[in-house]
Amino acid sequence: MYRYDEFDAAFVQERTAQFTDQVMRRVRGEINEDQFRPLRLMNGLYLQLHAYMFRIAIPYGTLRSKQLRKLAFLARAYDRGYGHFTTRTNIQFNWPRLSDVPKMIEHLNEVEMHSIQTSGNCIRNISTDQFAGAAADEIIDPRPMAEILRQWSSLHPEFSYLPRKFKFAMTGSANDRAAIKFHDIGMKAVTNPAGEIGWEIWVGGGLGRTPMIAKMIRGYVEHENLLAYLESILRVYNRYGRRDNKWKARIKILVHETGIDKLRDEVEAEYAQMKGGVLTLPQAELDRISAYFAEPPFELVNATQIDVVKEKAADAPYGEWLERNIHSHKHPGYVSVTISLKPIGGAPGDCTAEQMEAVAELGERYSFDEIRVTHEQNLVLPHVRIADLRTVYDRLVEAGLASGNAGLITDMITCPGLDFCSLANARSIPIAQAISHKFAAPERQREIGNLKIKISGCINACGHHHVGHIGILGVEKKGTELYQITVGGDATEAAALGDTLGHGFVADEVPAAIERLVEAYIARRETADEPFIEVYRRVGDAPFKEALYGNA
Amino acid sequence: MSTNLAFDVPESAPRRALQIVALNGLFDEMDAEGVLRHAVSEVLREDVAIVSSFGADSAVLLHLVSLIDRRLPVYFLETGKHFPETLTYVETLTRHLGLANVRWLRPDPKDVTRFDPRGELWESDPDSCCHIRKTEPLDAEIANFGGWVTGRKRYQTAERGVLPHFELTSDDRIKVNPLAYFSDADVNAYKRAHGLPEHPLFAKGYRSIGCAPCTTVVAEGEDPRAGRWRGLNKKECGIHFDFNGAIAKPVAAVEKTLFKDGKFIADPFRAWAEGDDPAAVRYTHIPLEMFVANRAAVLGNPHPNGLLIRAGDAIEEVAADLGRFASVAVEFPKFSDGRGYTTARLASERYHYAGELRAVGDVLMDQITLMRRCGITAFVVVHPATRKALETGTLVTVNRYYQPIGSAEVPVGTRPFLRKAPETV
Repeated sequence: MYRYDEFDAAFVQERTAQFTDQVMRRVRGEINEDQFRPLRLMNGLYLQLHAYMFRIAIPYGTLRSKQLRKLAFLARAYDRGYGHFTTRTNIQFNWPRLSDVPKMIEHLNEVEMHSIQTSGNCIRNISTDQFAGAAADEIIDPRPMAEILRQWSSLHPEFSYLPRKFKFAMTGSANDRAAIKFHDIGMKAVTNPAGEIGWEIWVGGGLGRTPMIAKMIRGYVEHENLLAYLESILRVYNRYGRRDNKWKARIKILVHETGIDKLRDEVEAEYAQMKGGVLTLPQAELDRISAYFAEPPFELVNATQIDVVKEKAADAPYGEWLERNIHSHKHPGYVSVTISLKPIGGAPGDCTAEQMEAVAELGERYSFDEIRVTHEQNLVLPHVRIADLRTVYDRLVEAGLASGNAGLITDMITCPGLDFCSLANARSIPIAQAISHKFAAPERQREIGNLKIKISGCINACGHHHVGHIGILGVEKKGTELYQITVGGDATEAAALGDTLGHGFVADEVPAAIERLVEAYIARRETADEPFIEVYRRVGDAPFKEALYGNA
Repeated sequence: MSTNLAFDVPESAPRRALQIVALNGLFDEMDAEGVLRHAVSEVLREDVAIVSSFGADSAVLLHLVSLIDRRLPVYFLETGKHFPETLTYVETLTRHLGLANVRWLRPDPKDVTRFDPRGELWESDPDSCCHIRKTEPLDAEIANFGGWVTGRKRYQTAERGVLPHFELTSDDRIKVNPLAYFSDADVNAYKRAHGLPEHPLFAKGYRSIGCAPCTTVVAEGEDPRAGRWRGLNKKECGIHFDFNGAIAKPVAAVEKTLFKDGKFIADPFRAWAEGDDPAAVRYTHIPLEMFVANRAAVLGNPHPNGLLIRAGDAIEEVAADLGRFASVAVEFPKFSDGRGYTTARLASERYHYAGELRAVGDVLMDQITLMRRCGITAFVVVHPATRKALETGTLVTVNRYYQPIGSAEVPVGTRPFLRKAPETV
């Protein structure tokens, strides 16, 4: 994992001093909220419905145990004993006092964390595959390049006041677990005909009120030219992205209105000037950063098969957890473990201080001091010996973190919604909780199989509803919260946006409506293994529309 | 301060202001002699001084003085920067009118040594130049009088269009303007009728004459004071800021909005105005589209000028001509509009523009460092807190840079890739 050198530490210290000065000016009333807003946003501090919300960056979703323990401390000392992991793989605290924020930042400094660029119209935290550096199917660990991009994008003087926020996602695997086609820029590691590894660049994806699937802008960029190429895209966007309308300011609109071919030409013209210049990444620097992400000292152990059937027979919940929450590892004898933050009836992504400490402990002991945050709002222990799985599981049971539901219907992405967010039109968390209760029975979830539900409380789509196999969007119509249901979205390499099938439902009707969709799916699947999304692709909208609205 | 004021009883400020209003109703507009006589004999009772520039129009007021009392003190500000013809004219008029009490006021040599050792302050900071050469010496003398008499006239500039006969200044003194309602023609008719000697430069086209470096010839039909501080956003030297009894601006703080080389200085440039002539403007930021439409005229203009690049303008269009401008202003219409950063980088890095690159618009303290890194060298700042932070050097900012930006920051191989700490500058 990356560790700060003196430069990083001093940089963050200076930034802390600057922001502390700004906060104290606000606390003393020397600046008003209007003047404070842009300053606090650049440092991850939002004014929410009830209080300030403070968002802390977790670069490419990677944490050390010490860092997670510090987050637990902050949750206990400055919040109400819990934190909320976000789809940007950050964590946010919903109840800090403004005057405490400088102290919180000081604490974060101690463990090499910060809140820089977790908000504002700048380059945000870069997200990656949660199994990066561990997954059996990746061709390269994307995190060293993600770290280089983190540094390059930190307080970038040209790109700190972009038309709108800007999000990167990277994957080193062909199986996209980072939703790269729904980011402003998505990067996928690819191999060129010469057998060298570089990056395929996708641009203009996004959700929000105008969801778009990214377009491929360049099939291959060498490591050494990646910064120059990205700076070229950002420059074109900074100059030509729309600034007249906040809702049309993301790069997806520029791509859409300009056309990908013309935009590509503009980027190439800029790239022709920048390529080979000062941003050329020396191999030595890539090696230097990569060294931080060197493989941990894995033991040489024989590949062990996990016999899920046998384990299920012996201990059903454990067997089911193994079946759902384990991901195959590149090193024999190891797996990655998904720790679900979606217990039945819980608020998705919430984690108590005690739970954070329990996970920190497990990470330290059983995962080479590494923990990951997923964009689906779960945690991951990336490198667990198969031999330790039972112990890890038992500890997770004690901590209330052993839900064996990864990828199942109750593993939902949910935005904070009207319970917290000042932008929301409708509640999200209570909807998720109602659905969770409806499908609480493990055997029922297993019968349904892979099914991703994603819920947003407003059109800004923080809950990624457009790319849910089933998406739920809360809207407000004439004072009533209504929920529109979409079907067929997919955030992976088979990227697709869900279709809205008809009118919305009031909150009470939503769980039953989901049930009808599920029944329609089960009735039409050809085998018990055919997942919801594939059935949808095979049979289309009609049966689901009928399930929701009848034959009328 | 106001004890010299020769009203019968101590006055409250509002009452005194009312009396001034009343005084202004006593005289016909053109009764300059009546105004001056009343001021000297009734209102101020000899507690009064005359200030004269001994310029093109000054003979009229000084003639009135000679009619009323030749012993009245007449102050002339010998700034050290006058035309030699003006100094000769002081002697000529003094003799011709028999003035018995003309006093030459010179700037404090210590001020000149300290602030203007090379005699070029008029060029870099005209406000400060006026301040040490005019305002400071005069203020010290005027403090001894209850009031003073000026030759100002309404027609001279738009700003003087409401000038009354009597004004109450914010420090409780009375300013008397006997010629307030005189037109240019009235002045010339008066000079002819009384056979008064002309300023030697009048025949050469000078209409309002101040210090030599800051005075130019006025064209037919131009505002007579248009020749003063031409090209600068400056109409008054500072000694008259307080006309009409309004609260005076402290002269030192007048419009010094340009932060450059570590301090706020008076801005020699002005903004483009409706009706400006691209072939003739000087020290003006010409908007890019105006330049593109009038390229030949601007390139033929012999004066120093600047170029204004607005957010959304394509700097490519003028890349080849950037070097022709003494200053390039990059507009930041709102602090949140970051297009100017790219414009600045293109100007300095790609097109190698080496002149003054200034940020104009919504320039706030939290953006200054970013702007500097993108090549901006000067800032037009009106935001009070930002001004304070810059003036006091208390800008709290991050001085460690991860990215190589700007031609000055770039030396590859002198530091770890992408990084720059202040000590490695």
